[in-house]
Amino acid sequence: MYNNKDEYIIEVKNVKKIYRMGKERISAIDDVSFTIKRGEFCCLYGVSGSGKSTLLNLMAGIEKLTSGQITIKGKNIHKMGEKGLAKFRQDNLGFVFQSYNLMNAMTALENVELPLVFKRIGAKKRKKMAKDMLVKVGLGPRLKHKPKEMSGGQQQRVGIARAFVSNPEIVFADEPTGNLDSKTSKEVMDLIREMAKTNHQTIVMVTHDRRLAEYADKIIHIFDGKVENIEIKEHNPVETETNTLGQEVSMTESGVVGILDQPVTA
Amino acid sequence: MRISDLFKMGLRNLSRRKARTILTVLGVVIGSLSIIIMRSIGYGMENNFESQVMQQGGLTTITVNTYADIIDEEGNYIDMKEQTLDDNLVEQIRQIEHVKAVSPVIQKNASLNSGKYMGWIYITAMELETFEAFDFPALAYGAYPTEEDNTSIVFGANMPQDFYDPSSRGYNPVQVDMQKDKVVLKFDEYPVNEKKKAFSLPLKNIAKMEKTDGEYDYNSYMDIDYFKEIYRKYCNTLSLEDRKKAMKTLSEYQQIKLNVDNIDNVIEVQDAIEKLGFQSFSMMQYLEPLQKASETLQMVLGALGAVAMVVSAISIANTMVMSIYERTKEIGIMKVLGCIVTDIRKLFLLEAAIIGLFGGLMGIALGYMASWAINKFGAPVFGSLMSGNYMYDMENTKFSIIPIYLPLAALAISIAVGLASGYFPARRATKISAIEAMKTEG
Repeated sequence: MYNNKDEYIIEVKNVKKIYRMGKERISAIDDVSFTIKRGEFCCLYGVSGSGKSTLLNLMAGIEKLTSGQITIKGKNIHKMGEKGLAKFRQDNLGFVFQSYNLMNAMTALENVELPLVFKRIGAKKRKKMAKDMLVKVGLGPRLKHKPKEMSGGQQQRVGIARAFVSNPEIVFADEPTGNLDSKTSKEVMDLIREMAKTNHQTIVMVTHDRRLAEYADKIIHIFDGKVENIEIKEHNPVETETNTLGQEVSMTESGVVGILDQPVTA
Repeated sequence: MRISDLFKMGLRNLSRRKARTILTVLGVVIGSLSIIIMRSIGYGMENNFESQVMQQGGLTTITVNTYADIIDEEGNYIDMKEQTLDDNLVEQIRQIEHVKAVSPVIQKNASLNSGKYMGWIYITAMELETFEAFDFPALAYGAYPTEEDNTSIVFGANMPQDFYDPSSRGYNPVQVDMQKDKVVLKFDEYPVNEKKKAFSLPLKNIAKMEKTDGEYDYNSYMDIDYFKEIYRKYCNTLSLEDRKKAMKTLSEYQQIKLNVDNIDNVIEVQDAIEKLGFQSFSMMQYLEPLQKASETLQMVLGALGAVAMVVSAISIANTMVMSIYERTKEIGIMKVLGCIVTDIRKLFLLEAAIIGLFGGLMGIALGYMASWAINKFGAPVFGSLMSGNYMYDMENTKFSIIPIYLPLAALAISIAVGLASGYFPARRATKISAIEAMKTEG
């Protein structure tokens, strides 16, 4: 069962990303492979510039990769056409951003409705779905507020509601608490974890904050565009990490912080 | 995305930058307005030519008169010349290409007498086959002369005018019912020859035209052969000297009327007649300078409209490009959230089309107002434009008429201009990289 490929909702295999800056070629992601299981809370952890955000963008199909392949739900997303990828995102992916990326001209409700608008869901139905979702994230009284009229934490709750409203299987979160204070950060993280748990959704989160990484079942340490270490946390019911892709993985016990090869935040 | 959602989003985006949208729309308004005014004036003029000239006896009719006015190219009277019109000329004209019907015309005054009362008519005698070719008006009663019975006299709607008693001192007009009262026709051209019984023709077979508000109303028509027959009888009652003079008027016509198959050939046929050495007259002569003036006016307005449309197209394109710059981040977010690129393209095209639509609608509304104003207050301006045009009835003339297709066409053009100028900006929007777009501030 554990070796069943279906269990891995995301497979990243020998992925490389090279940027061209004039004549120079900068290798952002250098031969990275790993897998993420269905329902797993996975964290890409590393310092800024380590390539973790690029990796997330590659996994979400926002950026094109140079070589290798990324498979989500058995589909090679970089082989899809632009339209197919857009549809795939509508149906399977949700996004939470560091800077919220809300539409400033729209109210909270309309922002949450947006992914459903793209999915051609009728106005009445999607309004109800969006409203329910906003109530769940605790913004019931702020449906008609525009982003500028809300605090950072509230804006990010709108962002979370938008990411989860169409009940996607995977939610990508890029530094979701990067702009929030520690108290709000905790609230937002608890919210993401709880939402994902109720619907058995897979979370892929990028962070440079070790405390946030603790929320994850699996922490993938990224340094200099390479996977340095994959850490499995004990509270995860999955006992062992099977190294299916031949990647050298160093196992660590849960809760052990400060592994030797963990990069030092510059 | 659903069409309704695209509309909602497009309208929202346009209303976010109201001032800019209004200014852009204004460009389209000016463009569509000038197109509407241009076409409505053109249409109004065409309509005037047709209706007003039709009343004067048709646009395809050419007349050759014994006393011909010589008119220069601008329609001004220069001189007059006398020309002899006979059967030979009628035959020559018949041979000219594009001539549909020709008839010699004899015109004579005659008196109608009923008891002691008397009235005057002006008889125009033509070949009976040609009545139809000249589009004579319908009859209120009676029948046009035919091969079988050519004796009918067709009165214009206003003829005969009131009868009066010539022996009475005052002028006390009386009405005579032509259908009931006994009426006789007499000629008074020459003094009555005391030696013979004076000519008089009881009128039996009469017909009356429906009102046309044109020259028909004041004329009376007969078949030329029947007219010659009765006129010869009249001649026989005259003295020898008078008879000779009178008989000559039967072989030399006052007029030759001909009808041309198509308006476009009128001038050509007139040129051919001129080659025969005869001066002719047609409404087209008057119309040509008029039409040229209106064409010039239409061309000026048309050029204005085209320029305005091009400028508004540039303005729409500019607005859309600016809008895309401002909304780069939004476009990025939409793409990441799963908006397919065709929807993004549709959204921007729709916004451009809505600008065109609003501009077109406002242009139509203003066009109707402008048309009304032109008809109400434009007479002095347009009157001076049509110098040398005596037939214009200024009170009731419409200079601007908006046919039903015009607003629809203007709207279609406005929307098409919007779509065309929105095309490249929309394509540009679809090519924005989501990842770059999300990094921009906005």
